[in-house]
Amino acid sequence: MNRYSLILAAAAAACVAACSSTPETIEELETARAVVPQVEASPRAGVAATNISEARKALDQANRLAEKGGKVADIQYEATVAARNAQIANEKILSAMARDEIEKGTAERQAVLTEARTREADRNAQSARSAEERAKALEQELKDLQGKKTDRGVVVTLGDVLFDTGKATLKPGAYTTIDRLATVLKQDANRKVLIEGHTDNVGTDEYNQGLSERRAASVQAALFERGVEASQISTVGKGETTPVAGNDNPAGRQQNRRVELVFQEDRSRVASDSD
Amino acid sequence: MNSWMTRAAAPLALAGLLAGCSGVSDLTKERVARSETSVQQAQQAIGNSEQGALELQRAKENLDGARKAMKDGDEKLADRHAQLAQLDAELAVSKSQTAASRKAADEMLASIKQLRQEAERTTDQPRTTNDQ
Repeated sequence: MNRYSLILAAAAAACVAACSSTPETIEELETARAVVPQVEASPRAGVAATNISEARKALDQANRLAEKGGKVADIQYEATVAARNAQIANEKILSAMARDEIEKGTAERQAVLTEARTREADRNAQSARSAEERAKALEQELKDLQGKKTDRGVVVTLGDVLFDTGKATLKPGAYTTIDRLATVLKQDANRKVLIEGHTDNVGTDEYNQGLSERRAASVQAALFERGVEASQISTVGKGETTPVAGNDNPAGRQQNRRVELVFQEDRSRVASDSD
Repeated sequence: MNSWMTRAAAPLALAGLLAGCSGVSDLTKERVARSETSVQQAQQAIGNSEQGALELQRAKENLDGARKAMKDGDEKLADRHAQLAQLDAELAVSKSQTAASRKAADEMLASIKQLRQEAERTTDQPRTTNDQ
């Protein structure tokens, strides 16, 4: 009510002074009166101190002019200057707040990344440990199967007594060993085994080569039956080419008639060793 | 120059003529020139983006008003239009800067949210203890 009468008085004064009609409200002044206090109250007013002080100065001037019935154009101008400065201040404040968020976000993002990296490192260490444990368990299992560590890997030998004489058929006595070998292979699908058949030097080379291949294949088939993946097994017949003992006595020849299973941790080396 | 004749009847121009027929002061010319530079700079800063386009348009209109008033020898009006052009140019630039900062902040917040979700997904996997 007070402002209303003030404006009326101002309008009357203006009429007397210049016979011009002053409207009851000046839109620009109302806008300035609304926005200037808003930016002044902002906690981040400091980033736009100059604009805010210009806005206040212009608004005070506009109010003074309105009070004493100044020209509408003058009031409009001062009020507009006040409003524009307040709007610029508002934009500067919003920008500063966004920059604050970015700064805070950068630190937060870094923290999340660091946390994620630590967690991943923990997980990797954990999986490395369990891989190591698996490898150890396997080593133990192969040791139990009389596996011998050689530069080709761990070699498990199935002796001649596990085959029918001169034949490739596995005797039931071999099944326990085959079962355990299958279990070892099924535990880790990445584990590869090379099955090598060997003979003594009795008989022709061709016969011995064929027998060694058939014996290796028969061990392979037994492992397939127990659910080992085909991709894990390769076979080769070596015939009489690789004796482990002398062929000049029965005991030596028996040692030479054998099937070797070569477990290699590095697959590429198994592959290169197979030829 | 012919506007001098047509506008001679206008009281403000008349006042200008009475003051000495000398047009506007060097100070006003300088102010208008400064506003011109500010408007050009705002134009460059904003380019074709939407944010600040309205304010830039108003700055141009005020600049036109300042030039016209200068031509008419209305020093006060030229000063005012120059000042408003200056403020509108500044507001236009501020608005486009705010939009850019806001966008960068929103992108930052979104990337943190995504990182957190990824981190939570991986933590959901069961973790075994060291002493097993």
